[in-house]
Amino acid sequence: MRRFRFGVTARIVAVLVVLGVAVFPLYWMFVTALSSNSDLFADQPRLTPDLGQFGVFVDALAEGKAAGWLLNSLIIAVGTMVLSVGLGIPLGYALSRFSFWGKAVLTVVLLFTQMLPEALMVVPLFALFRRFELLDSLTGLVLVNSAFVLPIVALILKGAIDGIPKELEEAARADGARPFTTLTRINVPLIAPSIAATAVIAFFHAWNEYVFAVTFIFNPDLQPASVGIANFIGELGTPIQTVMAVAFLFTLPAVAFYLLVQKYVVSGMTAGAVKG
Amino acid sequence: MGNKRAHFGIARATCALGLVATLLTGCGSDGDSGGGVTKLTFAASTFGDPGRGPLLTKWLDEFNQSQTKVQVSAAAVPYPTFGQTVLTQMGSGKGPDLIRFDMPEFEAASDAGLVAPLDKVIDAGKYDLLKQPDQFMVHDGVRHGVIFEASNYAMFYNADLIPTPPTTYEQFTSTAKSLTKGDVFGLAFRQTEAEEAGVWQDIFNYVYGFGGAWSDGKNLTINSPENLKGLQAFKDLYDANVIPRGADAATFRRMFAEGKVGMELNNGGYVTATRGQNAKLNFNVAPIPFPVRKQGAILAPIVINEASEGKDEAGTFIKWALEPQNQVKLQEILGASSVATTTQRSAEALKATPFLPVFDGLTETSLPQIVLGFEAKTPDIRKVVVQNVVAALQGKADLKSALDRAQQQASELVR
Repeated sequence: MRRFRFGVTARIVAVLVVLGVAVFPLYWMFVTALSSNSDLFADQPRLTPDLGQFGVFVDALAEGKAAGWLLNSLIIAVGTMVLSVGLGIPLGYALSRFSFWGKAVLTVVLLFTQMLPEALMVVPLFALFRRFELLDSLTGLVLVNSAFVLPIVALILKGAIDGIPKELEEAARADGARPFTTLTRINVPLIAPSIAATAVIAFFHAWNEYVFAVTFIFNPDLQPASVGIANFIGELGTPIQTVMAVAFLFTLPAVAFYLLVQKYVVSGMTAGAVKG
Repeated sequence: MGNKRAHFGIARATCALGLVATLLTGCGSDGDSGGGVTKLTFAASTFGDPGRGPLLTKWLDEFNQSQTKVQVSAAAVPYPTFGQTVLTQMGSGKGPDLIRFDMPEFEAASDAGLVAPLDKVIDAGKYDLLKQPDQFMVHDGVRHGVIFEASNYAMFYNADLIPTPPTTYEQFTSTAKSLTKGDVFGLAFRQTEAEEAGVWQDIFNYVYGFGGAWSDGKNLTINSPENLKGLQAFKDLYDANVIPRGADAATFRRMFAEGKVGMELNNGGYVTATRGQNAKLNFNVAPIPFPVRKQGAILAPIVINEASEGKDEAGTFIKWALEPQNQVKLQEILGASSVATTTQRSAEALKATPFLPVFDGLTETSLPQIVLGFEAKTPDIRKVVVQNVVAALQGKADLKSALDRAQQQASELVR
């Protein structure tokens, strides 16, 4: 009994330590945002937020710029998530279930695209975007982010579909279902946890993306938050509390999104672990 | 079950919202003109500076209100990636109409033909341009820019911590060491590769202040004995732990404003920026106390993008900026910096900032932070030099070997 209690206590402590490591950066950002100038570089750092400094959040949102940046980030991230998952499902299904010429090469090429750094692609993509008048538009960023994240989404979903017994599809086909019906009615519900996981990957990729956003967007009103926050960093000075306040706000929608889909992600991780 | 349905419902609604919002907002683009008004964008990292940024935006508003044909607005390009972002945009035939460049990027852009010649836009003979900095605006007889800001480097010091400023390098070192205790540091400078341009600006003062130079005009002299001496002084201060190691410029400048850093070598623009962060800080300025009175200067030209569709209108703005009353206003915004033309500092400005003449007295001995004779290659040479100097600071190589390596790599680049 004593051993059992010790085990439970140890697990709780371990969870708290991991939780602390994960949450601490967010907490420290919050504390820094709510620090006075004298607290910022004090010998003994302030460990708790000074709620009297809460005005920094109000000031950060006052001009409406930060709210606009967050909205732009949300549009880009949700758009990327929808497009890449929407295209990734049929692509993953095709790679998993159909035999066609060049399939192996296509899979390798998809992997290869993941090895290209964004910085390498900025100049050619800029020329391409200029040609198709996609510069200075959120659609352009959704497209480029989707292009970068689609391969990994498709490959993850291919793996998930590989795990579904073909007999289920054969049974559906025997009942007259076409491939699209089989995909949407049989496969998609079964790989829902993997879809949720890839949605998280796509969302966070687009939410954090900086290089394309800073280069392809000229209009300040269309900048996402990743670029907007960097605008606070001046050549000769930086308002640290304001940066931390906006950065803290920047993390909240992403955390909220993860909390919304985590149930599916977790169930995806445990799917198939127990067979009854 | 119902809960599951609700979650799927939320997910579907979110997806639909994202698609609709993306489609609705996707095709946003700012028109260049509307109602006979030409809209131009002006990119300058100065817009992000506390104190200077908001005042500069008001200065633009004054131009916009002075006439009805041209509207200039600030293009928000973040400082950390300013040069790289704007050069990429200009190289692909887009980008802001007006740009305030730092010298290395100005030279690279001019050499690549990305900057519009200004000879037909402005008549330089009409203005009393400052000769020393203005000479760098003309390449092979063609004017590519006009000085927006010229700012000499000097030693800023906290007058509460340092009643009498050091006048020799030995005093400078001992002051830095004696001040460093607890949460206060005697000195601060940039020391990481992430701040490549900043490290270059900082080491420039040590190299030239100890009698060195990056080139003799024809050949690179990165590993000369004088350069080694200056950079060894820089490394000695790093090794002595008198600086907040790892702190970036944004952090240690804030520390200076809060009285946590005793001395910093910086340019005249820092006066307004520091007051913007802490108006009560008691600081003063003196010449950099190195053996040779030579230091860097920030020369920041304003240029017109060759790809701009509103070159004439951009020229209208530059001509407005060069008018005497607008030059005086600009100089007051920029702090202790100079502007393109000779201006008189007002009695009020001298009373508020008594050390302004210190900066003015350094103009003859200040140099732009470019490699003379290899101006267009400066960004590439800068990268090589900074990489090797930072490696030496971090103990990955001894300083002499690092400079030899930098000399070899940079020579291959310019061959």
